[in-house]
Amino acid sequence: MPATRREMRIMISTGHLGTAPSGAESFLAAIDTMPDYLVADGGSSDPGPVYLGSNSVLGQFVEEELELFLVESRKRGIPLIIGSAGDSGSNHGVDETVRQLRAIAERDRIPRFRIGWFYSEVPGEAVAARIAGGERLPGLGGFPDLTAEEALRASRIVAVAGVEPFMQLLDAGCDVIVGGRCGDVCFTAAPCIRAGFPVALAYHMGKMIECASLVAEPFMGKEAIIGTITDEDIRITPYHPGQRVTVASAAGHSMYERETPYFEHALGGVLDMRACRYEEMDARSTRISGARFIPDDPLTVKLEGARKVGERYMGIVGIRDPHVIRNLDAAIAWCRSAVARQFGTTEHELHVHVFGRNGVLGDLEPYSGPPPHEVCLVIEGLAATDRLAHKLTDFAVRMFFLARIPGSKGSSGLAATTKETMRSSPGFVWNVNHTMRIGDPMELFPVHVGEAGV
Amino acid sequence: MPKLHELAKTIRSKNAGVNQITFDVIFPDAASYARVRDGGALSSKAVAALFRIPPERITDHVTFDLANAIKFTILRAKPSGSPGDWDILGCQAYGPLVDLDVP
Repeated sequence: MPATRREMRIMISTGHLGTAPSGAESFLAAIDTMPDYLVADGGSSDPGPVYLGSNSVLGQFVEEELELFLVESRKRGIPLIIGSAGDSGSNHGVDETVRQLRAIAERDRIPRFRIGWFYSEVPGEAVAARIAGGERLPGLGGFPDLTAEEALRASRIVAVAGVEPFMQLLDAGCDVIVGGRCGDVCFTAAPCIRAGFPVALAYHMGKMIECASLVAEPFMGKEAIIGTITDEDIRITPYHPGQRVTVASAAGHSMYERETPYFEHALGGVLDMRACRYEEMDARSTRISGARFIPDDPLTVKLEGARKVGERYMGIVGIRDPHVIRNLDAAIAWCRSAVARQFGTTEHELHVHVFGRNGVLGDLEPYSGPPPHEVCLVIEGLAATDRLAHKLTDFAVRMFFLARIPGSKGSSGLAATTKETMRSSPGFVWNVNHTMRIGDPMELFPVHVGEAGV
Repeated sequence: MPKLHELAKTIRSKNAGVNQITFDVIFPDAASYARVRDGGALSSKAVAALFRIPPERITDHVTFDLANAIKFTILRAKPSGSPGDWDILGCQAYGPLVDLDVP
């Protein structure tokens, strides 16, 4: 037990870089207290497979947030750590984030600093070779074991890193770190574990602050939070004056976005929160203790991969004729049969989302009463090429306009349509959601160090 | 008979991984929590019936006394963000719970 109580403070203001700007007032109020590290979550698998598959970025405010973080952290000499860069943590996402940070540093004349980054991509061929060699890669969340063929069909696969690549880059003296895909708890846990704080508390603090102000109440996104770790506990404090972290909000957040409130997996082991104690310590902070960490033996790493389905267009159809609404299934069947006749020999997908019936929930919709006085159909069409997806989707939209419904009194078009079907993101599916054994937590995550600034 | 939204302070759903949606219903006090927990309105069986899914699609169901919360997780029909999936974050799946009658 140390003679004096030591602590480390970690600040975060965004649970997803760039989706909206961080609240400037709480950000400055928090960073002015001189936390030991500023961290940010650059992405997640949450927004679907498109971002990993196509190397695209969801957030429209990435540049603004990176500038705020870099300028304010370098001004105070506070290290900055970003995890899962570029939404998916792909190599492109990491490179692009490093490039943006370098450009900001030049533009804002930030004095020279050391920047480190690591990659998380794993070639599909490497994964397929291990399966071909007899290794079993079990699926998560209901996925069957991965096959070599499926691994090879992925456009891109990333492995989810633990704390080790961040710790290695901190050891290398980096002031700014850009991580590839990593566990959401790891960019916070890494500096705490490196400084010798209890591993379980470090991961638990990572979990409590990963979504920034979502751990506090009332509900506010993008406001600053500081987590403080000691040898005995963690404390979570909000910096927006209207927010508090309470036992209820902290315990409630421990359930957020995971299957159970009691366990959290990361590369290296499982955080066990069954015996946690929560206690409000002042008008705005909550103290948490009691987490345990169960190391994995052997080590397993999570893999995420996206496979392309095709190019995608969407069209919007509005229907007001009560007779057509009463015979909506017949109208959809007419559209589908016409599409099958026209495009049957070409590989394609056609999805008809019926808003007013089950457009949001699909098969989970319990409501089965009469539809409202108007319904909206969104037609989603996919095919191998942009031209074909456009043609297919536009044709499907027209087929509602030209629907043949017995008894219909309308003879000038049975659907109101938009001017043009719209190009959407390409369609991808998650096809890799599996775990793989590894011998060393660094083996899939090469690190690099460079200089930036002026 | 009150509706769930009259008793709960939070009713939400969100992805838990790429192939599951998890639901959190959090109550402001132990009494309303216990009423719903013990009354069965959100039991595995009731939830399966509400969403018309086989019980095997419910992969987890816990009552979390510390947070006055009931939490359950279901398997998606297909992974999040696949073509044809509208709610990529699973964040509107809680809709049918809001006006649920609580015995």
